Amino acid sequence: MLIRTVAVTVLLAVSCTMALAVERTPAPKDARVYIIWPPDGAVIRGGKLWVRMGVRNAGVAPKDVCMPNTGHHHLLIDTDLPPFDEEIISDRQHLHFGGGQTEARLEDLTPGKHTLQLLLADCNHVPHDPPLYSNKITITVPPY
Amino acid sequence: MKTMIRTMTACLMTAVLFSGVAVADRTPAPANAYLYVGWPNDGEVLPANRPFRVWFGLRNLGVAPKGANVPNTGHHHLLIDTDLPPLDQEIPSDRNHIHFGAGQTETTIELPRGTHTLQLLMGDYNHVPHDPPVYSRKITVYVR
Repeated sequence: MLIRTVAVTVLLAVSCTMALAVERTPAPKDARVYIIWPPDGAVIRGGKLWVRMGVRNAGVAPKDVCMPNTGHHHLLIDTDLPPFDEEIISDRQHLHFGGGQTEARLEDLTPGKHTLQLLLADCNHVPHDPPLYSNKITITVPPY
Repeated sequence: MKTMIRTMTACLMTAVLFSGVAVADRTPAPANAYLYVGWPNDGEVLPANRPFRVWFGLRNLGVAPKGANVPNTGHHHLLIDTDLPPLDQEIPSDRNHIHFGAGQTETTIELPRGTHTLQLLMGDYNHVPHDPPVYSRKITVYVR
């Protein structure tokens, strides 16, 4: 009896995980996400900049617009990639561009080193399968 | 005579009304929306027989595929060797007016030897420019 319950629970858990995995949007073929500007190693005086977000072989669509071969940009600041099988969290280190923006204005970077990385996600803020993310670059804001 | 004048007035009023409707149909754009050709630079000399990338730069406005009616978005159109089309109607689709209705934010083109102009123009979900229209400076490139 106990074994059967455990088996059912395990099966349920596995099927739930699979259902989650299945819901991920397939990535457009040959798509590539990259930071057009700034270049890796850039020195940004004043800590204010526009980050140009690039995507190749795919399109940009605002959140909730579910169309094939599209997604919207997320800029990760000073953090590693989040889990790929769930919604990207939204906070000061995970900026969402659900309005279909292709440039991000940053104004409050403190002096020191910072990392920037892009991650594309589908209309539900979940990364594609396979996930589409850029190289992680490092920029330096000199002391004011 | 009186009837004729009345009919003419009615016609005129209808015409005014309809043109009013046509204007109202244009999608509003934020006044600070800024569109520019991120690459190539104005005056750039490009090698012949080699495709080159064109980056679409856009600030304070988002990108959405055609058909997606989301406020403060539009999709890119690249005008090659031509002036701006009428701004109150659908942008033509031909070799001089390339539509990026899938939400693309860059493209690769190849141009024959000679002097060419490039200009970007945003269109709304119906391919009609916004009000006010959002277009880039027209740049010149030399293919040699």
